[in-house]
Amino acid sequence: MSKLILTNVSKSYGPTRAFKNGDFALEAGEVHALMGTNGSGKSTLCKIIAGSVKPDTGTVTLDGKQVNINSPQDARALGIGIFYQELSLATNRSIAENILISQVPLQFGLFVNRAALRKRADQYIDLVRDVAGEGFHADAVVANLRSDQRQLVEILKALATEAGILIFDEPTSALDRVQVKRFFEILEKLKGEGRAMIMISHRMDEIFEISDRLTVICDGAIVATRKREETSPKDIVELMVGGRSTLADDDGPQLRTSSIKEDKPLLSVKGMRGAGFQNISFTLKGGEILGLGGLHGQGQSAVLRALFGAAPIHSGELYLKEEIYRAGHQRRAIRKGLAYVSGDRVRDGVIHGRPIQENTVPIHAFRQYLFLTSFGDLSPKLEGALAKLSTKFEALTSSIDSLSGGNQQKVVIARWLIDKPEVLFLDDPTKGIDLAAKADLFALIRELAEEGLGIILYSSEDAELLNNSDRILVFNGGSITRELAGDERTRFNLYDAAYEVAS
Amino acid sequence: MMNTATQTPSAAQRFKALCARFPFLPALIILMLLFALNGFFNANTISARGITGLFSTYLALMFLAVGQSFVVFAGDIDLSAGNILSLVNVFIITMMNASAGDGATTLGIMALGVLVGAGCGLFNGLLIAALRLQPIVATFATSIFFTGIALYVLPVAGMPAPMIYWQTYFASFFGLPFVIYVVALLLVLIFLFSRSKVVLQLLAIGDDKQAAFQSGLPVTATRIKGYVLCGVFASFAAFCLTGDTASGDPLVGSAMTLSSVAAVVLGGSMLSGGFGTQLGSLFGALTIGLIGSLVYFVGTPASWQNFVQGLAILIALMVGILISRRS
Repeated sequence: MSKLILTNVSKSYGPTRAFKNGDFALEAGEVHALMGTNGSGKSTLCKIIAGSVKPDTGTVTLDGKQVNINSPQDARALGIGIFYQELSLATNRSIAENILISQVPLQFGLFVNRAALRKRADQYIDLVRDVAGEGFHADAVVANLRSDQRQLVEILKALATEAGILIFDEPTSALDRVQVKRFFEILEKLKGEGRAMIMISHRMDEIFEISDRLTVICDGAIVATRKREETSPKDIVELMVGGRSTLADDDGPQLRTSSIKEDKPLLSVKGMRGAGFQNISFTLKGGEILGLGGLHGQGQSAVLRALFGAAPIHSGELYLKEEIYRAGHQRRAIRKGLAYVSGDRVRDGVIHGRPIQENTVPIHAFRQYLFLTSFGDLSPKLEGALAKLSTKFEALTSSIDSLSGGNQQKVVIARWLIDKPEVLFLDDPTKGIDLAAKADLFALIRELAEEGLGIILYSSEDAELLNNSDRILVFNGGSITRELAGDERTRFNLYDAAYEVAS
Repeated sequence: MMNTATQTPSAAQRFKALCARFPFLPALIILMLLFALNGFFNANTISARGITGLFSTYLALMFLAVGQSFVVFAGDIDLSAGNILSLVNVFIITMMNASAGDGATTLGIMALGVLVGAGCGLFNGLLIAALRLQPIVATFATSIFFTGIALYVLPVAGMPAPMIYWQTYFASFFGLPFVIYVVALLLVLIFLFSRSKVVLQLLAIGDDKQAAFQSGLPVTATRIKGYVLCGVFASFAAFCLTGDTASGDPLVGSAMTLSSVAAVVLGGSMLSGGFGTQLGSLFGALTIGLIGSLVYFVGTPASWQNFVQGLAILIALMVGILISRRS
């Protein structure tokens, strides 16, 4: 018997139909994966079930009874808990308070029962304590946690609802492999208890590891529901992108053939040390795509941010085109032709609430010392840069917030392309963006490398690294532990190097 | 990961941990500093008499700042708090003058005064949380509105409070001045509220309204509660002010509104919400009071007092930030 059935559910935002005619069934004791490109309607479907979005039409049936879910509080009362992709944590509160925020244990109905709060929170924290790393305890303030630890708090918060139906929207994007493994163990246990779970993830291997059934959504409509045993990643990707050219899949990575033309190093780093990394030495040549690999948070991002001047470097020598380069100021870095794209669009990239035009122009304006300019002069340049990534947008004057995550990231990248940089740092640029946008992005990166740019790519997805880099530096504990080049660039070698000390 | 954890904590780190546990610590340090300075320039200020005087003068601001904290925690603001105070002040004064003036009636009138404060807060809360008006402008408008009502109730300042009222305020019981008991009561209230569900929820809402809503918190109802509590504390402030000035004045509170906001910020709370303590706000209110008296005792010429006072508040704010940055 199905636990949750959605019949003919649809939702429009103005003229845009975010979701149409959805029929969806979730059964007890299963992990049901929702697959689809960003903006396809997965999140809308989840939000309808969780009560934060109200459907325009259709009915929701829970355990055979028709229900109305008008608010997150209603959903909670019906036993539906959700993990939000855009984290819903109160950053100044402690882990314990966050986990139990909507069901704080009380004394006399008015006062927070601190002891009980701690005890109950500890029960959940114990589930992940040994994989969460340092500083993960009931009283720790969320603002002081790393992004993977925050994600764990959000997971625990969803678990703490003890709901019969749990929705996980991208729960693993910041987690490392050990943490993901633990999370899946927890899910298996919940499955055994007969709870039903919906999961969204852009990591295909994880989806195939944990899910029982997969439902593919394309352009706001449910395309197909398949049992895991009866389908393959390739099938699913084809359903998802609707015939568009796909990324090289996991079965046979199409290794990139190098486009390095000259032998002179573009950027060389000797013995660099800073917060979160030490003893970093490498060289980057023009036309090369250098991959940074390893488990999440082993210093890859820290190195890129330091090179760009967003974090201090304590010691070491840097050379840009064989001249000494002093890092430490982003403005100087930009003038020298360095570019940095972060995966954390919200924090580091997008200027929210402003038009696409203003989001594309800042680097150009800075490098060209633009003072007064006209929209008419700028538009062709901006449109040219945006077109390189086949960015989809209505008009340059529409707000950046009207775009999907993938398209927002394209805008952020496009701002660096108007005046061509020399070196491009990509700090997990595909985090949380859809497969179609990823394919566009990597096509562009390869093209830029052909044109002679030096590119350093850090990605938390191994397939992206393996498919797109000429060499891979594997990070562990803030140092480079192995360099993989040529035929060594295999999944096995990458895992092997990454886990060498960590496990 | 890093090797810092293995080292024994340095003094700076210990101070940092202390600040994390007691966010009002920088405010307390500034307050102590000011207190010492006051004592240096005029030894009387640190006598029991001086402290009692300080309390009886600034008790109203202390209550108002603690009340303001409720809304600031949620990322809101109440620019009408001082005007609610004025309204309650003239309301109880006129009621008391119209009645017999014995103890029981006076207490009854004060209870009605709390209802008036709560009603004003509810009105603010409904406008802001339910009708989604911008807090700054909405409470600016209601502040004028409340002043209008206060002027209707008592058009000119000067109606005296009944003797029993202000005599109690300045009386001593069991060898301790009455205001000391009121301060103790305020501290108990602060302690209770620091453990209350409503403050936790207000802070969570101030952190991120959308996140709190998605987590299933009753955001609208909680914000309204915050405004009601602010109104109730404004009425408590009105009681103290009435005791101190012993008269009714329909315009007495308007200047105190921004002082209460400043006190909240000096106390280490974030105006954007999500972080702060009410004890800090209390210290902030006293800081403003002590700066006022220090400026006087140092012997600043009358024409320069405002200038120096403003400068001193800016310095206090900066020192507070420096202390918490350092940690």
